[in-house]
Amino acid sequence: MIIAVALPRFSLHIALLTHRIPVDALAALAPRPDAPQHVGACTPQAAAHGVRAGLRVAEAIARCPGLLLLPPDPDATAAAHERLLVRLEHLGAAVASDTPGEACFVADGLLRLHGGYEVLIRRVHAVLPVGAMGRIGVAPTRFVAQQAAHHAPTQLPYVVTRDEMAAFLAPLSMHALPISAPRAQGFWDVGIRTIGAVAALTRAAALEHLGRNELRAWHIARGEDDEPLLPRTPPQPLRVHVRFDEPVDTLATIEIAARILLEELARTARTRGTSLRGLILRARLIGHSSWMREIALRDATTDVARLTLATLPLLTHISAPIEELAIDADASGGQIAQQLSLASLARDERTRRTHEVVAHIRAAMGDGAVMRAIPLETWSDLPERQWALIPYSSSPSHTPRE
Amino acid sequence: MGTHSLQQLTIPHPTRVICAPNGVPHAVDIAGRRRTVVAVRDQWIAQDRWWTDDPVERHFYELIVDPGRVVFVFCELRSSEWFLYGHPRAAAG
Repeated sequence: MIIAVALPRFSLHIALLTHRIPVDALAALAPRPDAPQHVGACTPQAAAHGVRAGLRVAEAIARCPGLLLLPPDPDATAAAHERLLVRLEHLGAAVASDTPGEACFVADGLLRLHGGYEVLIRRVHAVLPVGAMGRIGVAPTRFVAQQAAHHAPTQLPYVVTRDEMAAFLAPLSMHALPISAPRAQGFWDVGIRTIGAVAALTRAAALEHLGRNELRAWHIARGEDDEPLLPRTPPQPLRVHVRFDEPVDTLATIEIAARILLEELARTARTRGTSLRGLILRARLIGHSSWMREIALRDATTDVARLTLATLPLLTHISAPIEELAIDADASGGQIAQQLSLASLARDERTRRTHEVVAHIRAAMGDGAVMRAIPLETWSDLPERQWALIPYSSSPSHTPRE
Repeated sequence: MGTHSLQQLTIPHPTRVICAPNGVPHAVDIAGRRRTVVAVRDQWIAQDRWWTDDPVERHFYELIVDPGRVVFVFCELRSSEWFLYGHPRAAAG
């Protein structure tokens, strides 16, 4: 059996906590500045006024004049989601999760460890965040377990046995199935509104509607989802961050800060004998908001040039002045074998000697003994914003002229 | 993992400036010693960061002080405070 956990309106809940607003307020998630102007999840109180996710902002405010629009906080949401997964993994679960606030795992291997379903589910309940109204579903397949969690009461798990699956799925909306919007619209147009109606289709009819790529949705509707759960590899997190004395709105400054952080990450990963598989860029924006982008690296690496190439273009998407920039890295990659060069260039030799000198000075006088002056906003009229000092990096990616 | 911060390289230091009746600096306190202004090489007004909650409005002066050093000072027009930046130690010498 698979146990699924669902925290409804997770992003909204985090935004409410961030802004210290009661959970029963008339509130909804505001759209991101670069996204279509539709509201996100809303509280039940706002829903009672006719507000729903996906409604245009103007219409939502017209329906509910007192509606509070909260900027989403993807950074805090991801952090809370990660905490949830780690807590579940501490129970011994191999957790799979695609959506913030949702997770599932195979329970069979944990029953002897915890002494049966009752104790295990009680312990899962205990790790859910207080006040988040977490729900638990138990079923033989992942999809059914997730749907059971969405329909479970707050305190009790919703258990669906294999015999009950068809009856449980039949009345649910077919929008819950993993199908693309045009396919869902196609179903809607011909009057297929429930999962039961999808399951009643013949294979040929389902193939005609869904195509081969999305035929899996038909199997899921029939309770034939036999795809194994793929749990995540618990990440080995590394985190570096830089705080700014005052909000920074200059891309050049943000890029310099990002370079420093990437060098620090690469150096730490090399020291630990690991390499970086992925990065998460986080920026704390002014006004209790945040920005976040995930980067999946094609190959695990500690090459600063490659990390920089993958990272810097994304910084142009930051939509407001930032107060803090952080980079989380998954350092679960293996050690990178570095091929040695046959010929040692004079420039490389100078670099090596420079780094050696820097290392000696640092060892004797501390990290702040060797600094590097970098241009920030040389065009600025304000002298204190024109140049900055950063610790001299001994990363091999640096050339001596720096 | 560590926390980093960019350190400012040119940090303006509060200083005391004695002005002539026309508002032009007459003497500047540098490293505890009063230096008479020999000449005003340049002056300009900078208005910056007006799009933020903390706009900046400064009157800059490039001065030659006794015994012939160049120093930069500015007056924060909103608070009427004077600051010295550049190379105060060199100027003091």
